[in-house]
Amino acid sequence: MSTDDTLRTVTEIAVAETGLPAAELTPDADLRAMAGVDSVRVLRMIARIERTYDIELEDEDVFGTATLAQVAVVVDRALRDAA
Amino acid sequence: MTVTADTNQHYDLDPEIFGQFLDPLRKYSSALYDNDGDSLELAQRNKLRFVARRLGIQGGERLLDIGCGWGSLILFMAQEYGCDTLGISPAPRQHDYIAAQAQARGVERQVHTRVGHFERLELPAGSFDAVTMLGSIVHMPDLGEVFRRARTVLRRGGTLYVSESCFRNAAARRAFDERAGTEFVRSDIFGWGDLRPLSDLVTAAEDAGFTITSVDDLTDHYRRTIEDWIANVDAAADAIDGRQPGLAAKLRHYLEVANAGWGYTTKHYALGCRKAR
Repeated sequence: MSTDDTLRTVTEIAVAETGLPAAELTPDADLRAMAGVDSVRVLRMIARIERTYDIELEDEDVFGTATLAQVAVVVDRALRDAA
Repeated sequence: MTVTADTNQHYDLDPEIFGQFLDPLRKYSSALYDNDGDSLELAQRNKLRFVARRLGIQGGERLLDIGCGWGSLILFMAQEYGCDTLGISPAPRQHDYIAAQAQARGVERQVHTRVGHFERLELPAGSFDAVTMLGSIVHMPDLGEVFRRARTVLRRGGTLYVSESCFRNAAARRAFDERAGTEFVRSDIFGWGDLRPLSDLVTAAEDAGFTITSVDDLTDHYRRTIEDWIANVDAAADAIDGRQPGLAAKLRHYLEVANAGWGYTTKHYALGCRKAR
């Protein structure tokens, strides 16, 4: 799966968890700086991403990623590692 | 004498508010789901039987429940196992509720409560077969003193069951103890609480002289319990807000914060101990 596909799925999950419009959830927007996106929303989003892909992200990825583009990269890496 | 506690701002709310989202026993801690289809009520009964198994309860034991809440455990152990029970809680409103429930269930001679803090109450040494603390040690500042006193009131061979939400490890505690979500739950909901890693609880139990007999990870069960509570809060939002405007949203936020952290920052463990060399 390409990063584009992953980014699209991750963004869909972010839209579902935050309720924000997809237009605001650009790949490089800092999630934690966005109105209505607190750490609770981010953790719920991560949990849903992990369930969707059946992967477990590393702690430094869970707490260290700030943008959806970064999340997509660590998801791809986890998928490669699991393959 | 008026007994007050920091935690009373939450636990001494109108009992009917808790009746709106907890199970009929009003057990305010993790349930235990044996099957996918288990209701919250059944899962809470499963959990109380699990506690009895971990304690080695056979029937008729003398049991002390520290932080007894609305009495779900002492009422259950009196009814189902014929135990002679004493519950301690600093929230005065809970005691009238428990007395009425004990009367209604015909176990008023086996169910007793005292208002106060376990750390300060006079209790005879060696007088209990079992001691329980379900989600209450988080509100007690001196872990060492709590385990030492629990050991003192137990007879030789007596058992202790402690279940608690814990930081996943010491590093998670350092990273998250001061964050907004943690602070919201501690200050806005409870008044005071100190989440620790399991290793701190084990150390305190060992230092007090206990033998550790079991450790269970109940995290997934607590996640599902809280999902059931959130559904109940949503269904009863109007009734909850009718008693205290804005409380339904506050409760929901607290429960969502708790559920978002499971596995990432927090775990829910049950620790079994025995007073034995």
